[in-house]
Order: sequence, then structure tokens, then C-alpha cells
Amino acid sequence: MFSDEEISVFLDELEEKIQVLNENILVLEREGGSQEALQEIFRAAHTIKGSSAVMGYDKMASLTHEIENLFDQMRKGLLPVSGPLVDTLFMALDTLQILRDEIIGKDVSVDIEQVVTSLKQFQGIGSPPSPGEAPESGRGPSKQPAGAIDDGIGEVEEDVIREAELKGLQAYWVTVQLDAGCQMKSVRAFLVFETLQQMGEVIKSQPPAEDIQEGNFETGFRVILLTGEDPDRVRNLLMTVSEVAKTEVNRIKLAAGQEVREQAASDASAEKTEQAARADHEVKTVQTVRVDVQKLDTLMNLVGELVIDRTRLNRFAEIFEGRFGSGSGDMVETMNEISSHLGQVAGDLQEQIMKARMLPVAQVFNRFPRMVRDLAQKLNKEVDFIVEGHETELDRNVIEVIGDPLIHLIRNALDHGVEGPEERVRLGKPRNGVLKLKASYMENHIIITIQDDGKGMDPVKLRAKAVEKGLINGEVAQRMSDQEALNLIFLPGFSTVAKVSDLSGRGVGMDIVRSHIEQINGITDVSSVPGVGTTFTIKLPLTLAIIRALMVELGNEQFAFPLTNVVETISVKAEEIKRVKHNEVILVRGRVLPLVRLSDIFERETCAEMDRLFVVVLGIGEKKVGVIVDKLLGELEIVIKSLGDYLGKVPCLSGATILGDGQVALIVDVRSLVKEIGVEEAVYAAS
Amino acid sequence: MAKGEKQIDSKEDQMVVFQLTEQTYGIDIDAVFEIIRMEAITRVPRTPHFVEGVINLRGKIIPVIDLCKRFNLPLAERTSSSRIIIVDVGGNTIGMIVDGVSEVLRVPLDSIEPPPPMIHGIDAAYLRGIAILDGRLVILLNLDKVLYEHEQSELQRFGVETA
Repeated sequence: MFSDEEISVFLDELEEKIQVLNENILVLEREGGSQEALQEIFRAAHTIKGSSAVMGYDKMASLTHEIENLFDQMRKGLLPVSGPLVDTLFMALDTLQILRDEIIGKDVSVDIEQVVTSLKQFQGIGSPPSPGEAPESGRGPSKQPAGAIDDGIGEVEEDVIREAELKGLQAYWVTVQLDAGCQMKSVRAFLVFETLQQMGEVIKSQPPAEDIQEGNFETGFRVILLTGEDPDRVRNLLMTVSEVAKTEVNRIKLAAGQEVREQAASDASAEKTEQAARADHEVKTVQTVRVDVQKLDTLMNLVGELVIDRTRLNRFAEIFEGRFGSGSGDMVETMNEISSHLGQVAGDLQEQIMKARMLPVAQVFNRFPRMVRDLAQKLNKEVDFIVEGHETELDRNVIEVIGDPLIHLIRNALDHGVEGPEERVRLGKPRNGVLKLKASYMENHIIITIQDDGKGMDPVKLRAKAVEKGLINGEVAQRMSDQEALNLIFLPGFSTVAKVSDLSGRGVGMDIVRSHIEQINGITDVSSVPGVGTTFTIKLPLTLAIIRALMVELGNEQFAFPLTNVVETISVKAEEIKRVKHNEVILVRGRVLPLVRLSDIFERETCAEMDRLFVVVLGIGEKKVGVIVDKLLGELEIVIKSLGDYLGKVPCLSGATILGDGQVALIVDVRSLVKEIGVEEAVYAAS
Repeated sequence: MAKGEKQIDSKEDQMVVFQLTEQTYGIDIDAVFEIIRMEAITRVPRTPHFVEGVINLRGKIIPVIDLCKRFNLPLAERTSSSRIIIVDVGGNTIGMIVDGVSEVLRVPLDSIEPPPPMIHGIDAAYLRGIAILDGRLVILLNLDKVLYEHEQSELQRFGVETA
């Protein structure tokens, strides 16, 4: 049996190859029979076939075998790329994916027969009616009597040649023509074989080797030679064998599925592309180094210790200087030097480890082109899907969370945004809709935008809809700005399409999207122009482990508010605070803002009542709350740490962080804080 | 049971011995991770009364409890000999404030007596036993019980109340 390690490597590779297949089949569909794409596909399918057979996954091996056969024909130009063909290929890929899931223990079972049958049907189209006719249909006029040649390279030889190519060897068809009057054909042939074997390996001959050795051939025969030698040298050496009238050495290029006569120029370039392809491949292998995130977290903690020790070293240097005075001048200086260098290294180290936790957003984006294609087909829409910023890197935790919201937004854009082709033409828009998914950096954030050029959203309709659904009353609706009206779509239970489709429009969508994004400290925004299109913008922190926070003081302790939840800070006079029943409120720009004292929430003593109070205005969605604190200390970048299992979930706290001097500051969980106040509010409202 | 086997092998346990309101207590050395000096503790609101707060132990946030408060003993003043014993129990690293750590003692297993129902205000449920060593009475604590038994219910109660 294979170890878990081996299986997991296999699964990783499989995932990667399936992705390659997906991407390149999309390319095929878009651009027709691109040789490059076919090449990639063929290689990927071949790899899967090989490794799944070795691992003993027979279903997968036989399925990929059929896929490979099909691609072989496409590669040879025997089978044109067509819509139904692409559909079948995608179906086969999906089956492959299911087979993969089967391996990782998901409870699925799949019957590959149907897919294999449809794959075979296409092969039926592609394969020649009789073997003899095949070459003519697929070949250019300049080819030499190639029918026989093509038949000569079977699958086994192909595999051997490929392997040899990886080792830097080349495969050649060596054709040897003996003198017509040669008396000792078998001997000459033997000598030819001897000569060839000095230079490389003969893996096949026509007619078969036994026949040749016994002289059972006309005047010529040919062999496949694997060698690292120059073809000219091969030819020259063969000519030294007496009674050899003519030799030809032709390079076999499996890459193109055809053999091409030795031509210095073209060959050189072909070799280059092959090398480049190989280089690409190697880069990918490097990317799959896997490290347990736990290890990175441990490393991160170690770096933290380093930083703290450095602070201690600094302090010690001061004491040292104080005690031994100027007499120790040099030593103190050296110590400071060491300390600051230590700090620098620790900082760099921290940054690198943070980066190691990052993954390119391509991890998520890569599955979208296929999804968009399938959806568009289902909806009878024509869409150009543009993806930008694949390489943008995000913390792996963030990547895990953003997948679902993005899928939802893309579905929405296709379903509700982009119009059908006829309607677009009627509206004077290009027939194909454009859906653009883009990721980019902006300061300490990642911005992901999903932009369509569809029908957009009409604020007037949105208002009406929200009133109709009873989400807001008419008066509020009238007061709303257009932007606020757009934000109505994020309300739970809001769905603008009357007809519920299976794609989107279940009315659970946008509020879930927003809350998912908020979970990871992100912000969702929407802008839309009726008739022109809609853009969703998602702003995400680079990482979940580090956030920017507003530091405040209460008594003599520090607390951190995540900056994403801080709307503003204001300073108010004590007399501005009004009491409504038991609750304190203030008016901010004409709106009532409920107030709460941090000292009450956390049962702390506060500094004596002052004339001026500092209020941190927090916002979760549409909800705003003001929190009175003793002092505002400013913004800080903090590393979030858990309070641990022993304390469990402490109300209104989401964790703690270690400050520069080694002290611990608590991080306020704004979400639960606002919720708690919300409960009180509800009680008050009900009374 | 691993512990049982070990006791048979060694015929004695090593105990970290510490002071708490002028009494001597012992805990199994295997549970002790390290012993550190008192340092500034950040109080954590809305936790059980015996949870003093959290400290930063080389980059990790560690909860610290006050054993005096835990056993409802009269509170001793913190002095320069006060220590935090960092223990690893039940998969959690937890700090315990004690008045002072004196030594590591070898306690022969046959010198351990079953605890009386109540000793110095501490319920026998939290005790592993008592031992008389060099004429001193050492109260051996059962850390699993001390840290988890009541705490868990109290911690949970807090969670429920505020949820």
C-alpha cells in the first residue's frame, strides 16, 4: 500500500492537473485547436493516467486513458474542437473530480461508463475508417510516405521516448538503405545495429529485429534510436558501414504528434519551447512545498519572544550604562548596536513568516472561469470573463472564507446583471457581456472587485421593493439616498427577482455575503448605474493575524478596537449626554446615538467624571453604538492572540495582543458588544 | 494507567513544594512547566473571581489564577517571594499564583496518607493526600480537580449568564 504522504502528494498533483485540464479546455473552446493548449492537456492527462494506474485507481486510469486518446486525435488534427466535444470533456473532468473525492473518502460513487462511452463516440469520429487512410487526412503534402511511420510509434514507444526526452535524449527514425546487390544483408544489418547501439538505444525496428537479423527484408529497414548524439554524426557513422547506400535520420517530435525532418532552425526553436515548458513545470513543482500552518504559528511566536528579549536587552543596556557610567561607553554602544540589529532581524523574520502564510488568490479564482462558462451556457448568455490579479496574495484563512461570497456575487452578476445577447443587441450594447473579477493591493488591504456591464440596479425599484417586503417604511425609504438604497440589498430577506431561480435569488444571498466578509474584518460595497452595470467591491485585510486597531485607555489598562469597526471618534461634553430611560444617548449630526460606558461593560473603575468624554463610534452593518472611554491612545498594528481554551469565550472580548513593552492588551469583540447593547435596546423599546 | 506504573517503578514522586497562606502544598513535578516571578497581570473582565487575568509568557497568552481565591483562603500580600507556577494540565497552560516556592521534594509513596475530609478550609475532593516530611505537613493537590472541577462549571456558568 501507499503511505498517506504518497497519496496526498498524488492528490495534490491530481488537483493541479485537473485545474490545468480545466484551464486549457477553456482555452480550446475559446481559441480552437491551439497546439500549446493541446500539448498541456495531453501532458496533464498522461500524468494522471500514469500515476493513477501506479496507485491502483483503475477507474481513474481508464477514464484518463480515454481522455488522452481523444486528445491524441485532436493533437493530430483528426478531430476538430466542437461544442459537444468540449462539453463531454468537461463532463469527463467532473467525473475525474468525483473520483478524486472518492479517494479522499467522500461518500460518493460514480459510474464512469457513460462518460467513457461518450468519449469513445468522439474517438469514433476522429479515428480513420481504416488504418491505411489515416495519414493522408491529417498530414501536410510535404510529408514523406508517412503512413507506415505513424503506425510505427505505439503507446509504449511514446512513453519511452517521452522519458528519454526528459533525460535530454532525442528520438530519431533512422532509415537505412542497403545496396541493392548486397549479399549479406543480415550481417550489414547487424553492423548497423552495433553502430547504433554505441551511440544510443534502439527501441524499435521495422521490420522486427528478428526478421532483420535473419535477412528477411527488402533492402531497407528503419529503427527508432534514442541518443544524445548529433544526427549528422549518426548518419556519418552509419555510412562507414560498407554496402550502406543511403541513411536518413529524422527527429521524432512527439510534441507535435508528428515527426519532422531534421531542420536545424526549426528544431532549435522547438527545443527551446520544450525547455521552457519543462522549466514551467519545474517552477510549479517548487510551489507545492507544503508546511503545516501550525509550524508557522510557532515560528511567529518565537519571533515575538525575540522581539521582547530585544526590548529587555535595551533596558539592560540602560541600567548597565547607569551603573558603570561613561567608563563603559564602548560596551554600551556595542550592546545597543547588537540590540538594534537583533530587532531588525526579528522584524524581517516576522514579515517573512507572515508572507509564508500567504497564498495567491489564484487558489480561489482558478475555479471561476469554468463556473462562469457553465453558468452562462445554462442561462443562454454570452459573457467574456476577465480575471486580473491572480498573483495577489492573501492570508490562507481569508482565502478559505472568500470563496463562497465570491461565487454568490458572480452568480448574481450572471443571473441578474448581464442581459441575454438579444436584449443586449437591442439595447445597443455589445453582444457579449463583460464580467470582470479583479484583485489588487491597496495600502494594507486587498481589494476584490466584481464588475459587470449588465442592467445595473435601480434605486427607485430597490426602495419600492424594500417597502413592499416590509423591511423599511415608506417614509424612511423616501429619505434614503441612492447609495443607501443600494445598500438595501444587504438586508436579510431582500431579493429583487420575483422568480426564484436555482442559481441565485433565494433571498438569502447578499446579507450572507456581507456577514461572511465581515467575519474576516472585510467591508462590502456596491455601486451601480442602471443600464450600465454593477460593481461590488470587497475590501479585505491582508491577514487575519494582524489588524490595525484603535488603542484606548480605561483606568490604567489598554483595550484595542479593531479599526474596521470604528466609524469615528468624537469628544463630547458631559452635559450633551441625554438620558432616555436608563440609557445614555447623544445626538450626532441630528441622529440619536446610543452610548455605553466601557467601564460598565467591563466592570471597571474609571477615572473621575470629566467634562469632556471620548466616544468611539462603532459600526456593525447599519448599527452604530458609541462607547465612552477614558482616553484615546491612537492606532496600532496588533497581532491577535487567543485567550486560550481555559478561559473559553469571554463575553465582549475576541482575544488579546502583546504590546511593544510585553504587556497584554485585550481586544474588544465589537460584534458581541453591539449585540449585547442591542438586547438592552430591545428591552427598552418593548417597555 | 501511566501514573500508576510510574509510581510502582520509582516508589516515590517528586513534588514541587510551595507556600500558600503559611501552609505547605505540593504538586506533581510532571505538571510543572516552569516557575516565574510575579509580573504585571492584565485583568480579564467577566471571568470567574479566581481568574487573576492573563500574562504574556514569551509570546503566548496564559491565564493566571489565584490559588488563595480558588480555595477562598485569606488573601496574602504579594511579596518578592511570590511566584507564578506555570502548569500544563489537561492540554492547557495555566499560571497559578502562590506565596513562594521552596523546593522540590522526593515523596515516598508509602508516606502519602489519604486526606481528611477538610483541611485548612480545602475540600478533600481537591487533594491527592497529605504527607509528613521532615516533621512538616505537606498537602498534596490534585491539579486536575483544582483547575477543572469547579472552575469549569463556574466558567460555564459565566458563559451562560452572559450569553
